[in-house]
Amino acid sequence: MPNLIKNLPSEIKKNKLKTGVIVGLSAYWGVILVGTILSIN
Amino acid sequence: MDVFLPVAEVSVNILAIISLSGIVGILSGLFGVGGGFLMTPFLIFLGVPPTYAVANEANNILATSVSGSTTHYLKDTLDYKMGFMIVIGGAIGTLVGIWTFTYFKGIGKIDIVISLAYMYILAIIGTAMLVEGLGEIDKARKKIITKKKLHVHYWIHGLPLRMRFKKSKLYESAFTPIIIGLIVGFIAAIMGIGGAFILVPAMIYIIGMPTKLIPGTSLFVTIFVSVIVTFLHSFNYGSIDLILVLMLVTGSIIGVQCGQKIGESVDSTGLKTLLAILLLIVGIAIAYDTFFAEHTVNEVVKIDANDLNPLSMFIKKISLEVPILYGLFSIVSAIILGVSAAFIRRFLSNLRKKYFQKSA
Repeated sequence: MPNLIKNLPSEIKKNKLKTGVIVGLSAYWGVILVGTILSIN
Repeated sequence: MDVFLPVAEVSVNILAIISLSGIVGILSGLFGVGGGFLMTPFLIFLGVPPTYAVANEANNILATSVSGSTTHYLKDTLDYKMGFMIVIGGAIGTLVGIWTFTYFKGIGKIDIVISLAYMYILAIIGTAMLVEGLGEIDKARKKIITKKKLHVHYWIHGLPLRMRFKKSKLYESAFTPIIIGLIVGFIAAIMGIGGAFILVPAMIYIIGMPTKLIPGTSLFVTIFVSVIVTFLHSFNYGSIDLILVLMLVTGSIIGVQCGQKIGESVDSTGLKTLLAILLLIVGIAIAYDTFFAEHTVNEVVKIDANDLNPLSMFIKKISLEVPILYGLFSIVSAIILGVSAAFIRRFLSNLRKKYFQKSA
């Protein structure tokens, strides 16, 4: 685990596309989940 | 160029509807998906109320699935027995779906339910397609070849009442296709979609059908599911608008035929990623519209029946006075248009072959 955290910045630099997709999808799902919770309340 | 829809009671741009329906049709033909999950949100964005968008898109899907299914019938790439088993589940699922639709309509929450359902379905399909598409591009770049298992066994394969499906060369429980049909029918009734995006992966990975029989059988099932959805929506809510259906069918039938032709000469791996991004954009647009946009109360324009043109007046009258006959008429019209499109395509294809053979 510490190794993974240590290597994370280099992994991000190595594969910018994958990182972008993961960040984009996380933001996307975050918006719709938060929106759903707010609209139900 | 605006046209007033007599049943939905809104004005829409005829060119926008036909061209959007054509574009969605091209995407359907290109990727083998129904396109309902794109067209219904587009109709909602164009100002058609969700209740009407769902019902009319179901009627449009009926025409396109009849057209595609007739083509597969002529090629003998259909498993009727498997199709009927899925239809049994689909009929039950549709009835449960309509009951759920009625419940949410009764408590005044149907619009938010449709929006949320679309948002999540588009997000799930978009995410899955994007991950799959990027994975395929990555594998192709690294030249990795993965061996897939021939058949994976899930709990669903252990169900009783096993029977033989000769055409698909399978010996499987009748409950497997019935359960799949049940889910597809339920979603189709609430969202006005054909459900091919669930049916096709389920046929490949869960039922394990041969690939060549899948598109035809999926379209065959969609015919029955969309007939039930169209009829029940028409009978219960009188929400079928023949003018809107005609515009949708015109665009989508031409688009599907063009999409299928383009698909024969284009590699769809990269395009799949683009479609995934498009689905996610539509999903986020629905999310913005549902959660953040300021909703203005639409001014209800009451148009006197005498102000309508004779055709609109006639449609409005029969939809109110004889809803069963009107529903049946909209179903039969969609079937006739679909079959005609398939035969016209076959005729043109034969003509082209003949012409090229002669010139060669």
